[in-house]
Amino acid sequence: MTAVITPPAANPRTPVKRAGRRGGIAPPWLFAAPALVVYALVMLYPSIVGAGSAFTDWSGVGEQRSFVGLDNFQQLVKDDQALGALRNTLLLTLAIVVVQNGLGLLLALGVHTTIKSRMVLRVIFFAPVVVSPVMVSFLWKYVYNPAPDAGLNAVLNAVGLGSLRQDWLGNPSLAIWSVAFTVIWQCAGYSMVIFLAGLEGVPKELHESAMVDGAGTVARFRHITWPLLAPAVTINVMLSTVGGLTLFTQIIAMTNGGPGYATDTLSTVLYKQAFVYGKFGYSTAVALVLAIFVAAVSFIQIAYLRARETSA
Amino acid sequence: MASEIIRTPVSRRRLLQLMGGVAAAGALANCGGGNSSGNSGGPLKVIGAGSQEAGLRKALDEYKKQNGSFEFNLSFSPADQLQTALRAQLAAGNAPDLHAVYPGNGSAMSMVQLSKANLLADLSDQAWTQKIPAGFKGAYQQDGKTHIFSPGTSVLGAIYNKLAFAKAGVEIPTTWSELLTVCDTLKKKGIVPLALGAQTPWVTQLINYALVPGTVYAKQPDFDDKMAAGSATFAGSGWADAMNKYLELQKRGFFNDNPNGTTYEQATSMVGTGKAAMAVQVSAVLQAYRAAAPSPDDLGMFPLPATDVAADNWIPGGIVVGLSVSAKSKKADEARKFIEFCGQPAQINAWAEAVACVPLYSEGEAKVDPVLKPFLPYLSGDKAVPFMDQRWPNAEVQPTHFAVVQELLGGKTTVDKALKKMDDAYKKTA
Amino acid sequence: MRTGYRPRTLVLELVMIAAAVAFLFPVYALVTLAFKDPGQIANRPLSLPDPPSTESFGSAWQSASLGSALLNSTLITVTSVIVLIVLGSLAAYFLARQAGRLSYSLYILFLVGIILPFQLGMIPLYQLVNDLGLLGTYQGMILFYTGIQLPFTVFLYTGFIRSLPADYTNAALIDGASHLQAFVHVIFPLLRPITGTVLILNAVHIWNDFFTPLLYLGGSGRETVPVRVFAFVNEYTSDYGLVAAGLVLAALPILLVFLVLQRYVIRGFSSGLKG
Repeated sequence: MTAVITPPAANPRTPVKRAGRRGGIAPPWLFAAPALVVYALVMLYPSIVGAGSAFTDWSGVGEQRSFVGLDNFQQLVKDDQALGALRNTLLLTLAIVVVQNGLGLLLALGVHTTIKSRMVLRVIFFAPVVVSPVMVSFLWKYVYNPAPDAGLNAVLNAVGLGSLRQDWLGNPSLAIWSVAFTVIWQCAGYSMVIFLAGLEGVPKELHESAMVDGAGTVARFRHITWPLLAPAVTINVMLSTVGGLTLFTQIIAMTNGGPGYATDTLSTVLYKQAFVYGKFGYSTAVALVLAIFVAAVSFIQIAYLRARETSA
Repeated sequence: MASEIIRTPVSRRRLLQLMGGVAAAGALANCGGGNSSGNSGGPLKVIGAGSQEAGLRKALDEYKKQNGSFEFNLSFSPADQLQTALRAQLAAGNAPDLHAVYPGNGSAMSMVQLSKANLLADLSDQAWTQKIPAGFKGAYQQDGKTHIFSPGTSVLGAIYNKLAFAKAGVEIPTTWSELLTVCDTLKKKGIVPLALGAQTPWVTQLINYALVPGTVYAKQPDFDDKMAAGSATFAGSGWADAMNKYLELQKRGFFNDNPNGTTYEQATSMVGTGKAAMAVQVSAVLQAYRAAAPSPDDLGMFPLPATDVAADNWIPGGIVVGLSVSAKSKKADEARKFIEFCGQPAQINAWAEAVACVPLYSEGEAKVDPVLKPFLPYLSGDKAVPFMDQRWPNAEVQPTHFAVVQELLGGKTTVDKALKKMDDAYKKTA
Repeated sequence: MRTGYRPRTLVLELVMIAAAVAFLFPVYALVTLAFKDPGQIANRPLSLPDPPSTESFGSAWQSASLGSALLNSTLITVTSVIVLIVLGSLAAYFLARQAGRLSYSLYILFLVGIILPFQLGMIPLYQLVNDLGLLGTYQGMILFYTGIQLPFTVFLYTGFIRSLPADYTNAALIDGASHLQAFVHVIFPLLRPITGTVLILNAVHIWNDFFTPLLYLGGSGRETVPVRVFAFVNEYTSDYGLVAAGLVLAALPILLVFLVLQRYVIRGFSSGLKG
């Protein structure tokens, strides 16, 4: 939709502007100026300055810092703790993306029916999203009490599943999945809402004509619903991926990266290096690597998912 | 969303102008335009550690009573927030006038690390600094200058529930073998012998800290100097003995189930209610333990015997978290006057009593919590070792210690590998 | 959505209700904890409080000075959200309508903010705010949140505006309106669904934020609710009841706002997706 619109000569305030491809006349760039100024001041400028310390040996306090070039990055490649953290980061993200969105989809499908309690259910499932992550962590730490007669273990016992009782946060092999589950619990409602929005966009007529043709529930889902949910899938997968890769608060609050190093991720290592070990310069190097990694994954995802969307 | 060649020339030019403006604002900020850091007028800003609240608050209130015009703004942070928030303030040059600092070395907020970065004022001209015992100079001083005030020492031992002991008919053990027997008897009576809340990182170190004075320092009092010089390592020392004893307690089932999943609060509650008989802890937590018990007198404390040779059983006694004056404070004089006040014998006694520690020095009878009496002979007999982290050269060794203990308890590593990790961390440059 | 309520639907309803109950278990644990006294907490952790006691709530409110904390949080959150909506929608309008490599690059520049780790700029930003004399002030926090949340806000608004047909503004402009007038009278009202989403998502994040208010407002008397509540969680205290009561009090306001706005949230999401 391109058109050049000449405003009436009587109003000299509106200069001639060429129409953009998206149609419509673009407003003056002044509209974007205040936002840009604040954003650049608060995020861009400090990040660039901060990134500079990745090339120093700054401890985080005091004046002593000397330029060390790429030393921090070389050290990072050899750092066992960081490599283990990378593995945990990837595992955690995978679990979150798959389960949180799977659960969200199931919840959305269940709520998007004629059941009477759907309005209430929507609120209930979304409510944890609204609670502070630190709060959720404390809450779940209490629930994950390993004593057989407390918290989750007590509930399992009460419903006859006593043999499933675990040391949720203390077992090094289990801890990271326990943390993942907490995050999934908190954010499944978020995925649900986005899927719900997507489901609203599936025209009823398609389902009705398919039903007339004799298609069952599963078939209808596969051929009608699922392809049309592509945009919702895109948003959900992208958001949960970035969220998973940069997850920090819940891990520190629940396990501090332990037991041992079992739940350390790149974000927790980053934090510890900066504030606990007194190695701020090195931690910034980790931060830069993490940022680049997240950006790369996001761009790859966006390309793949957008292609999928348009082919649907 | 393909790129579009049509552009408004005006907007590009103006955009670059805008970027220039942002850069200029940035440069201005760097030159320190506007309010400079620290506060020159107004109340004295104090940030303390949660664990010193009782004593610090009392001292400030008392000082204000005696100096009507004194104004202060006090807030507290738990230990992990101290690391981050306070360090960020120090980094930006905006530290409070008085803030919590850990004695000695070994942590990012320790006296040595901060004084090396020239962030702490020199307090050496104050009277109380002359009373620092030789054995504790390392906790207070760097290069001969005193940078931190602390009211005294806390000790590390076994807090025990007297009722639980009575129920099982056991007495306080004085040797390692006796300890094992006591635990065995308690276990048979269905009481958890030792409550261990290893999910909370700082709890993991305590049993080792209780054993190492006996297994290492009793025979090698200058162990820290040797390590600093490179002629001793964790791996080749009595640390291995301590770690093995730690694991032996676990193997024999003397801990509660799932120590790695049990928090400090849960362990406290176990001992307070009598479900567990003992917990190895610092004396500073006595308040919390007493609050968890039906009656505060249910609890006592005794030194944990590390060996079977009574003379070798030393105790850990560490200077408690203290207070320093920020080197960049604009109210340094006022802050120092307050510290001078805290250094007076009456004040030291008051603070020490509030946080259940042994006063740094006392004129006359030391007012000490009766529960701590068994420890005094060790302190006066020079059989006390400062908490080990206070002599470690960088901030990474202690968190490594926490992590490897959790790994050991979880069966994910061996004592040799654990000690090697600690040695590797020790060697890293600060 | 299929029509009709059949036996199968009843089964689904029961399953969903069971899922909701399971989902709410942790919340149940928290709320009952807040209503118990220390004795009940130790001995009967899972059952309903009997009798319920509001003692923890009173202590929590007092020790954390929650009244003033609520005022601080509300002031900061409301102002920040308003500024975000104004700046974000204006910028998004430009980015959505202005074609060209420059505006696209600008859009990407904003998006970068979504993935930047906060630790990178944390210290320099703290120094900057300090140098501007805004530490410990409401303005400082509002400036911070505006900057940090703009990328996400711009992202949401831009996507939505792109889906709006251009005829509306064209008509207004032909009639002689200025760009600002066209925006205020034509475009912005159309943005209502997405504004609802922007509002609630930003408000939740700002209200619950803990670390930055701790850093910037600690000791200033203007602390927000999370900072004051988590001050309970000291190294040595075991008072779970107090912490739980504090947490419940801290979460209530934002939950209430959400309840009121939740219809807009979901509508906002769905309109955003259709575009």
